[in-house]
Amino acid sequence: MIPASLAAALVEICGRDGVVLERDRLLVYESDGLTAYRHRPGAVVLPRTAEEVRRSVKAVAEHGLPIVPRGAGTGLSGGAAALNGAVVVGTARMNRILEIDAENRRAVLQPGVINAELSVAAAPYGLCYAPDPSSQTACTIGGNVAENSGGPHCLKWGTTSRWVTGLTVVLPDGSTARFGGLAGDASSYDLTGLFVGSEGCFGIAVEIEAGLLPLPEGVRTLLAIFDRIEDAGRAVSAVVGAGLLPAAMEIIDGPTIRAVEDSVFAAGYPTDAEAALVVEFDGVEAGLDADAARAATLCEETGAREVRRARSEAERTALWKGRKKAFGAMGRIAPDLLVQDATVPRTRLPEVLKGIAETAKRFDLVVANVFHAGDGNLHPNILFDRRDAGEVVRVEAASKEIMRLCIDAGGTITGEHGVGLDKKHHMPLVCGPEELAAMWGVRRAFDPDGAMNPGKVLPDDSEPEAGRPPSAAASPGRVGGDRVGGDRAAENRAADVLGLYPSERVLKGEAAREWSRGFPAEAVVFPATVEEVQETVRVAGRSGVRVVPAGRGSWLQAGGWTREAPVVVSVARLNEVRHYEPADLTLTAGAGVGWEELDATLASNGQWLPLDPPGVRAGTLGGVVSCGVSGPLRARYGAVRDNVLGIEVVTGDGRRLKLGGRVVKNVAGYDLVRLTTGSRGSLGIVTEVSVRLFPRPAAAATLLFRAGLPDAVAAARAVCTGPLPPVAVELLVRGEDGEAEVAVRLGGGPAEVDAICARVAALAGADPSRLLRDGESDAFHEDRTRWEDDAPVVARLAALPSHLGRTVEWARQLADALDDGRVCADAVAGVVRVKGSVRAGVAGGEAAALAERVARIRGEVEASGGTLAFSQAPAPLAARAGWVAAPGSAPSGPKDRLAERLKAHFDPCSTLSAGRP
Amino acid sequence: MLDAFGGTPVSAAGPSAAGALAQAVKEQEEGLLACVHCGFCLPACPTYRRLGDEADSPRGRLYLMQAVVEGRLSPDADAFQTHIDRCLGCRACEPVCPSGVAYGHLLELARHVGREARPPSLAVRLLLSVLRRPWLARAALLAARLLRATKLSAGVGRPRSGSGPPGPLRLGMAMLAASAPSRLPESPPSPPVESSPLPPPPAPATTPQHPPASVGVLLGCVQAGLFSRVNRATVRVLQANGYAVTSVPGQGCCGALHAHAGDLETARKMARSNVDAFDDAGVDYLAMNAAGCGAAVAEYGTLLSHDRAYARRAAEIAARSRDVSQLLAKRGPVSGAPVPLAATSDAPCHLLHAQGVDGPPNAVLAAVPGLRVLPLPNAAECCGGAGVYGITQRELGSRIGRDKVKSVLATGADAVVTGNPGCMMQIGAGLRLEGRPLPVLHPVELLDESYRRAGLYNGS
Repeated sequence: MIPASLAAALVEICGRDGVVLERDRLLVYESDGLTAYRHRPGAVVLPRTAEEVRRSVKAVAEHGLPIVPRGAGTGLSGGAAALNGAVVVGTARMNRILEIDAENRRAVLQPGVINAELSVAAAPYGLCYAPDPSSQTACTIGGNVAENSGGPHCLKWGTTSRWVTGLTVVLPDGSTARFGGLAGDASSYDLTGLFVGSEGCFGIAVEIEAGLLPLPEGVRTLLAIFDRIEDAGRAVSAVVGAGLLPAAMEIIDGPTIRAVEDSVFAAGYPTDAEAALVVEFDGVEAGLDADAARAATLCEETGAREVRRARSEAERTALWKGRKKAFGAMGRIAPDLLVQDATVPRTRLPEVLKGIAETAKRFDLVVANVFHAGDGNLHPNILFDRRDAGEVVRVEAASKEIMRLCIDAGGTITGEHGVGLDKKHHMPLVCGPEELAAMWGVRRAFDPDGAMNPGKVLPDDSEPEAGRPPSAAASPGRVGGDRVGGDRAAENRAADVLGLYPSERVLKGEAAREWSRGFPAEAVVFPATVEEVQETVRVAGRSGVRVVPAGRGSWLQAGGWTREAPVVVSVARLNEVRHYEPADLTLTAGAGVGWEELDATLASNGQWLPLDPPGVRAGTLGGVVSCGVSGPLRARYGAVRDNVLGIEVVTGDGRRLKLGGRVVKNVAGYDLVRLTTGSRGSLGIVTEVSVRLFPRPAAAATLLFRAGLPDAVAAARAVCTGPLPPVAVELLVRGEDGEAEVAVRLGGGPAEVDAICARVAALAGADPSRLLRDGESDAFHEDRTRWEDDAPVVARLAALPSHLGRTVEWARQLADALDDGRVCADAVAGVVRVKGSVRAGVAGGEAAALAERVARIRGEVEASGGTLAFSQAPAPLAARAGWVAAPGSAPSGPKDRLAERLKAHFDPCSTLSAGRP
Repeated sequence: MLDAFGGTPVSAAGPSAAGALAQAVKEQEEGLLACVHCGFCLPACPTYRRLGDEADSPRGRLYLMQAVVEGRLSPDADAFQTHIDRCLGCRACEPVCPSGVAYGHLLELARHVGREARPPSLAVRLLLSVLRRPWLARAALLAARLLRATKLSAGVGRPRSGSGPPGPLRLGMAMLAASAPSRLPESPPSPPVESSPLPPPPAPATTPQHPPASVGVLLGCVQAGLFSRVNRATVRVLQANGYAVTSVPGQGCCGALHAHAGDLETARKMARSNVDAFDDAGVDYLAMNAAGCGAAVAEYGTLLSHDRAYARRAAEIAARSRDVSQLLAKRGPVSGAPVPLAATSDAPCHLLHAQGVDGPPNAVLAAVPGLRVLPLPNAAECCGGAGVYGITQRELGSRIGRDKVKSVLATGADAVVTGNPGCMMQIGAGLRLEGRPLPVLHPVELLDESYRRAGLYNGS
């Protein structure tokens, strides 16, 4: 079914047994886990190596045929269906675990490794892989990357996106690119995060670096039985609202219970119940019983007729097996099954569940619900018989209505199964034309010819006409991409922008520079609405004025320098908290909301947004998100990118994009939230942000150990690689005396924290010199975020955490080259920071010598796979080679081309943050 | 409805053979629809794990069967024949299937259809036709025993340089050599302190008012021909554990090999005669010491479900069938004298997957003092024996077999224990071909030896 020349080429690449060409044999590749769609591929290749994938993709691309990546074919959105005789590239044979690097808690994998087998392989090291989709015994890591798979335990630990730290990808043109990597990646955009969840439209991941997590020391599993499913939904909110953070919370409804109990995985649920809620806590032993008891009480208070505890590992396993195999067990009660997947805010569960039940009744259908209640991720499964045509019609209608119910409740159309073929027509329910156009733009940046998994994710008719940016019509001033008034003086052009604002919302000249802490801003404007932001960039684009976004101006230096004095657009006035529902653990606010104010609001509800980048307290929510820099808390709570649920940005051509949403799990379309998070204002101005919150730990403590530097590094790493879950571990190198201090931050229930304190000391091999409790501990870390404030020179060195000692040594060399050089490190991430100053007026040979020293250190760091980047440096020195960007880093590789195309789509006139990476 | 599978004769006025077969497969549609295409079976399948091709997975094979049912694929198509043939029939997919698809049964039906469309290879037909005739089978197995006694088999079935799979002759000879009795190291000369004299066999678990449970042993064809020592050991250990073992005249081959190869007619014929024999004997239990036979007998009810005269009786006989390890585990079993040995135990697929018997073989081994059981990684995976697989899929079969042998050798065990003659020969042959001919034993052989050393049989 494919041209003979292509067939011959593929056989040459993968061997005769690695290519399926016969029509009959291709039958079995018609469907993935969703059999409603059947599309026979033109051929299937089963490569064994990355090189075979690369060559196969290239060969197929040269023949102009579409390509569909496939893992184990367990997907539930038809994502692996081969439309139009596409060539399927199956990764089942690429099933080797290339490396388990226990010290850095990561694994390097081929894409065909089965999810559950990674955890099995990691177990001897006391580690596991966190995302655990229900199909984990069969699905592959490569498929997980494509779909951004979730699973029951994502409630506490996040989805695939959080755990994939680096990728090697074969792009649609057959080139290979590397994204991310634990050792550090200096590239500008989070291409790893963007690629995860791209449903095979951006390329094929051929090597995956995944983070691992220490196996929990103890587990407590509860099963609460309810007579009404709405009560089970209320119990979920009650548990979260009480500040508990279970590892998982799952609801299995009556029809599902009966199906499971009838299968080989019978777990002993009462078959007359209408809902069973599984609540699981994991972590260190101390404190687990208290958490479980509290959750049990809350379940009883919300109407559970019975709460059971798994008394043994066998009972726990049986209980989970019943939940995990529920989907398959449905085959017992009906011949066909439509698995729905939608997410709603947790607090809306009771009403949505009620609505689903009513819908089912109205359409005379049986709907069985089994879902990740803690995340609000519903799986209403509609049971039917495809041979009954009338029933099929009712199923489709009911399915759409259920989706509508979820969206109306503030949810989204898919939480973890993906859009694929099945839901692409529903994308307009959650994405406007602008957002769809942006997704098309990103897709075309990866795949200009539309060769990779065409016909999936985005509705066919939603692509804007080629060559015409979707909002060109909205920017009447730009003609054919040329700038109007390109030869006018800069200040005259800036006047076009400033003219939009009343004088009290404009700062000029010295006042502007003072506001932005010395940044060479010509003016600062303060829009009061998103529309004003849009108008500002549009006018700026027309007039050829460069614009730099800001919040309160505290981080303007971060990220680079512009040659031209620009207009700063501060979103400080967009500072409203628009939506805050504590029981949902989510918040939506204007980008300009100050961190201090936000923190106070959250604290009054016993919650927090656990992000602690340098200087955070002087900044804004939008600034934190836009810069995407993470602090030491990342060790426990993930990076900035892992906690942003939704972003509203105004692009460089004035489009207003509402990306993501305010639900914890959302895989509707490409992850533009991760793309824009940390893009430092170069793709758009962040105007609104939705974030995921956490309960503030009931107790906190910080242990401080003092030792000579080598011992301190060893102690810090011992704590990091031990079995305990510290919240953060920092290393503070004191001046020149060779002494250092290790700060181990702990949080959790009081009993838990007490128990861990003693064990941390044992791991560190020393008694703490100081123990800070609760308020003292918080104050200490708050102060730590101010460490680099006002330092004229700040650099970050990143390398593998296991190389901490060496990285610190380089950092000290750099510090020695500066005046008042100081060094500190996030021992978990392996990120080392240097601050200091350069004597005023340094110039000539002295400056050259300094630059040379910096260049030499950078060379060594990079040669060992690490990175060195300055976030602050005095302007005269900044211009010198080796200070801002790596010398000679002219964009050339496939990754740079991608970044350029992405920038060109979001900011076609380079209006935003010019000169920044 | 006319039904060629049900065993009732197709009337002359009925549809063509192929049409009738298609119709029969269609009857399984309900069964096939139970497959929700979730893919949980993929990693459990030894052929998928090695080949990575959907068509070599249980889900893929079910899809091919469904395509035949839907008329989208001809049963004589290469795709159907190749991939249905390539299935080991190990049924490791069944326990992991949340929908409970009766894969093994569907596979037999598919093979029946495939066989009608395209007859199997000459070698397979020859083997099955020999086993179909008891006198011929007996003669062939006698000849095999004689050959085994000449040690010629051990000579041919030796390791040889070169990495390819062994030829059929070498493999066959190695299997034959592997079926010979193994010599076990004797106990240390002095009996263990305080454990002697051994207690007499314990009172049967039945209360005095009830007579002991009566058991008939299925002697099998290959088992009787090459492993008669296992049959004798089975009788002895059952008796030692308080069972009244009754001889069952008129029994024969269980028909498993025929059913697996899709020759359901012969399989049914054999099943009927065994149902008659065991029914007449009136035993409480049928003891099975070959997992393959046990799985087949346990499914007699399904096999003969369309046979009005036999359906009910077949189901009753099937319900009384137990693996010998199950019967022994029910009684403890009683311990014997030490057999100092480090052994590793492999689970026969037709015991573990097809019958769901997991713990009892371990209980049997636990009754042998001095025996150290070393865990075998991937013990639940097929050894590649799989009936006639060694003949039909030489390359793949030997690859799967080599992996098993590697796992066994990596444990450092001195012997392998497994409760099925096919597995015993396959693993034994593999070890021989690697130049490491470890003893391969049936669990009851070890228990029997332990009892012998304990003097439990003295004076009986």
